[in-house]
Amino acid sequence: MAIQTPERPKTALKEPTKRSRWTRTGARPRPTNAFELYSWYFFRVSGILLLVFALTHLVVMHLINNVEVINYDFVRQRWASPLWRTFDLLLLFLALTHGMNGVRTLIYDYVQSKGWRVFNISVLYIVGIFFLLIGAQVIITFNPNLPSLPAK
Amino acid sequence: MQVTLKILRFDPEKDKKAHFKSYEIEADPLDRILDALNTVKWYKDGTLTFRRSCAHGVCGSDAMRINGRNRLACKELVGDIGKKITIEPMLGFRILKDLVVDMEPFFEKYRSIKPYLINYEDPPATERFQSAEDREIFDETTKCILCGACSGSCPPFWSNSEFIGPAAIVNAHRFIFDSRDQGSDERIAVLSQSEGVFRCRTVYNCTDACPREIPVTKAIEQIKRVMLYNR
Amino acid sequence: MYHKYDAVVVGAGGAGLMAALQLVGKANVAVITKLYPSRSHTGAAQGGICAALGNTEEDHWEWHMFDTVKGGDYLTDQDAAEVLARDAVERIIELEHMGLPFNRTPEGKIDQRRFGGHTRNYGEGPVRRACYAADRTGHMILQTLYQQGIKNKVTFFNEFHLMDLIINNGRCVGVTALDIKTGELHTFHSKTTIFATGGYGRCWQVTSNAHACSGDGTVTAYRAGVPLMDMEMYQFHPTGLYRIGILLSEAARGEGGILRNSEGERFCERYAPTLKDLAPRDMVSRFIYQEIREGRGVGPNKDYVLLHVDHLGKEVIDSKLPDITDFARTYLHVEPYHEGVPIQPTAHYAMGGIPTDIEGRVIIDEKGTVLPGFYAAGEVACVSVHGANRLGTNSLVDLVVFGRRAGQHAARFIKENDYEELPTTPEKRSNDLLRFVEGGAQSGRKESAATIRKEMQECMMTNVSVVRNEKQLLTAMKKLQELRERFTKVGLTDNSTKFNTEKLEVLELGSLLEMAEVTTKGALERKESRGAHYREDYTSRDDKKFLAHTLAYRSPEGSVKELRYKPVTLGRFEPKERKY
Ligand SMILES: Cc1cc2nc3c(=O)[nH]c(=O)nc-3n(C[C@H](O)[C@H](O)[C@H](O)COP(=O)(O)OP(=O)(O)OC[C@H]3O[C@@H](n4cnc5c(N)ncnc54)[C@H](O)[C@@H]3O)c2cc1C
Ligand code: FES
Repeated sequence: MAIQTPERPKTALKEPTKRSRWTRTGARPRPTNAFELYSWYFFRVSGILLLVFALTHLVVMHLINNVEVINYDFVRQRWASPLWRTFDLLLLFLALTHGMNGVRTLIYDYVQSKGWRVFNISVLYIVGIFFLLIGAQVIITFNPNLPSLPAK
Repeated sequence: MQVTLKILRFDPEKDKKAHFKSYEIEADPLDRILDALNTVKWYKDGTLTFRRSCAHGVCGSDAMRINGRNRLACKELVGDIGKKITIEPMLGFRILKDLVVDMEPFFEKYRSIKPYLINYEDPPATERFQSAEDREIFDETTKCILCGACSGSCPPFWSNSEFIGPAAIVNAHRFIFDSRDQGSDERIAVLSQSEGVFRCRTVYNCTDACPREIPVTKAIEQIKRVMLYNR
Repeated sequence: MYHKYDAVVVGAGGAGLMAALQLVGKANVAVITKLYPSRSHTGAAQGGICAALGNTEEDHWEWHMFDTVKGGDYLTDQDAAEVLARDAVERIIELEHMGLPFNRTPEGKIDQRRFGGHTRNYGEGPVRRACYAADRTGHMILQTLYQQGIKNKVTFFNEFHLMDLIINNGRCVGVTALDIKTGELHTFHSKTTIFATGGYGRCWQVTSNAHACSGDGTVTAYRAGVPLMDMEMYQFHPTGLYRIGILLSEAARGEGGILRNSEGERFCERYAPTLKDLAPRDMVSRFIYQEIREGRGVGPNKDYVLLHVDHLGKEVIDSKLPDITDFARTYLHVEPYHEGVPIQPTAHYAMGGIPTDIEGRVIIDEKGTVLPGFYAAGEVACVSVHGANRLGTNSLVDLVVFGRRAGQHAARFIKENDYEELPTTPEKRSNDLLRFVEGGAQSGRKESAATIRKEMQECMMTNVSVVRNEKQLLTAMKKLQELRERFTKVGLTDNSTKFNTEKLEVLELGSLLEMAEVTTKGALERKESRGAHYREDYTSRDDKKFLAHTLAYRSPEGSVKELRYKPVTLGRFEPKERKY
């Protein structure tokens, strides 16, 4: 009589059980996600533009003119020209989006739990867009024809 | 020469926290750090645990932090490092025991970029032809031995356990730039995701850490460019 | 834990991976390896893998076969050599299709270079036959095969240490292995088992082999009753880095590097006028040994010679020999651009091992009786295609050719056969062994494994190396006997279960001690000089008595019980004197 082999589980041990997103996504290619690419590219482009814009801003506002001479009238005169308005609007937009992009990256680097990420990113976008909107509103709707404030 | 090895120890069966332990040993300046570790293991403290195999920097078993930098223990000589040597497991990996870290997640990320030639055409009867110049393009990245030194030296990799890490990207580079390969799109689909190639901060730690002298950061940047210009 | 697989492959070097790739899709296969696959020692191979592709000059597989047979000093089985030389061509193309990045000729074909012992037209002069990827050919083969393993979703059991081979009713029914991470013993029940665990160079003090090359697979088969073949045929590579043994590939000489003694003389010219520095390894090792013995060695102790590549120019060195010149720089602080690199012969490759036929099936006696279900391939096996001396680049070919054949035959065997039952206590021998090793922690046994290993390595290096004689071999036998007795008292300081590498080192030492003994015993009884086995007291080849393979059987106590001899398979090429 043959020797009885004891009953054994039929299934073989599988590959490591814990799977991260990489194995899942690696299995089936998704359409290329261009957001990260463009945000990376935008980072570089906005950086270069900001260099020009921010430096011009610095030279005009702090070297040629001086903080003491900058008052309501100065701003009114400046914003009478659509050129400067566009300049400031662009500066505002670039600085905010560039900064937001940076903070977003930091969040991705340091915040790993899904919930906290969503939360942090949401706060970032809400705050960022809020500032963008009021900034833009001031620049666009500013009326240079109002009388100047009485001098103190 | 007399050297002091200060080694980070952790025994999962006994310790709650890793702690440093120092060993004084006699070593030749031409000894490898790996020889020094073996001296400790064989003649001082048999419980010291680390991985090793080839002992000349080709298998990738013994990447660890030596005086704060990721190095292969078998590729550094005691005389070049100095009398005081601090050895720790690599950062960004879970410690299993002493200098042994959990490589599973690392290999999982490696597998995710499809590290194999993808070519949908039937192979010819002879070899597939490739010019020497085309072969040269991806030469550097074929050197990778999967030791993990680059990933373990990468700040985004330390803080973000989901980041795919330089090692996987280097291996993707090896195929993306191979003229015989047709799977670039599939790999780029993986690398373009939020934890892919764009988490790289160009810190250059990986380039410094690579024991095979692969220009890792350059390879990563080349992939970013391919994604940008080949869309 | 219990697992059931159609095929279990032990070892994930070139041979193991190649075998596993033949089985995926056809059968349920698991690969067990004590290292991560990419850490296997195949990755250390540098120089090349040869095949008569004829990409750069005329070449034929018959020439390759002839070189293999002659290189092996006619101890090569000629049916196996024919398979090797013929299959090589297809296998290289297959590797290329898998993605292996070979260096290319200007026309985009696989480039080829010269290598020791490979000749044109049956010995007329060197031929370009070795396909290569810089000096990382083995690395590329290992990576490529591992990548294919990933592609084909092979199941790997990484960091599992083979413990025992299970045989029941005359059939191999599986293995047991220790999970290094958890310290747990696993039983793998299988229809077929393929061993591809590599060599055992760590028996010697100066070796090109990895710490992991401890002959575990060889010894496991031996303990299970399988004989070992031609173990005395152990190759010493002429150019290992002085004192540490790291290999400087023959490619250095293939590209034009030369050896010089203390007088600056190119001494190989004197011994081998045709092939010079590119004579086969066993010979060049002996030339070096002779030079050192006659006082023409270099250095304060006159115990090494110099390998010069400085005349080749920076460009050639950087493009064709980058890694190995880097080794000289890193480990000896020598700059190969300007000066010779100190080298000495280093223990390198086991021609012998588990005897198999050309299908990779393990045979257990001189009549060629097969042990069903058990296969071996790669350095652990002895087909025998390398005979008494392996030619450079022939091992990598061996891995892919016979790894594949073993895998394919196993696939057929799986289809035709059912599972054989496991014995009632499949884990008994493994548990006994583990208990013995672990017992050292409590029982107050005090012998140090490291000291025993060191003494063994020194003993083997002085007594059983390039040149041997009876007196030395007897000394070695006595010393090894003593060491084995001391081994029974070996102590353990680490009694943890998880990742206990001290325990593994003791297990490996156990393997090495037995391998050392079989090697020495075989060398003692082979009273002739043939290939890598050179006896000062019997300097000529004796084809009457020793044109035969040694088969060593083990006694239950662990020493060699008896040696038998199996005739060599001859064929096309009549044994002739070997001259280059
Ligand atoms: C420095 C060097 C250079 C070389 N250069 C060349 C060359 O240029 N050309 C050439 O043709 N040949 C060369 N060789 C020879 C050739 O590389 C080897 O003979 C060959 O790679 C052996 O391959 P393998 O698959 O048999 O074993 P290996 O690649 O050594 O693999 C062994 C496998 O078995 C596993 N294993 C071992 N023990 C156990 C155990 N107890 N439990 C579980 N798994 C285990 C290991 O994890 C590993 O995966 C060279 C060898 C060396 C050392
Ligand atoms: S031991 Fe192989 S890389 Fe260091």
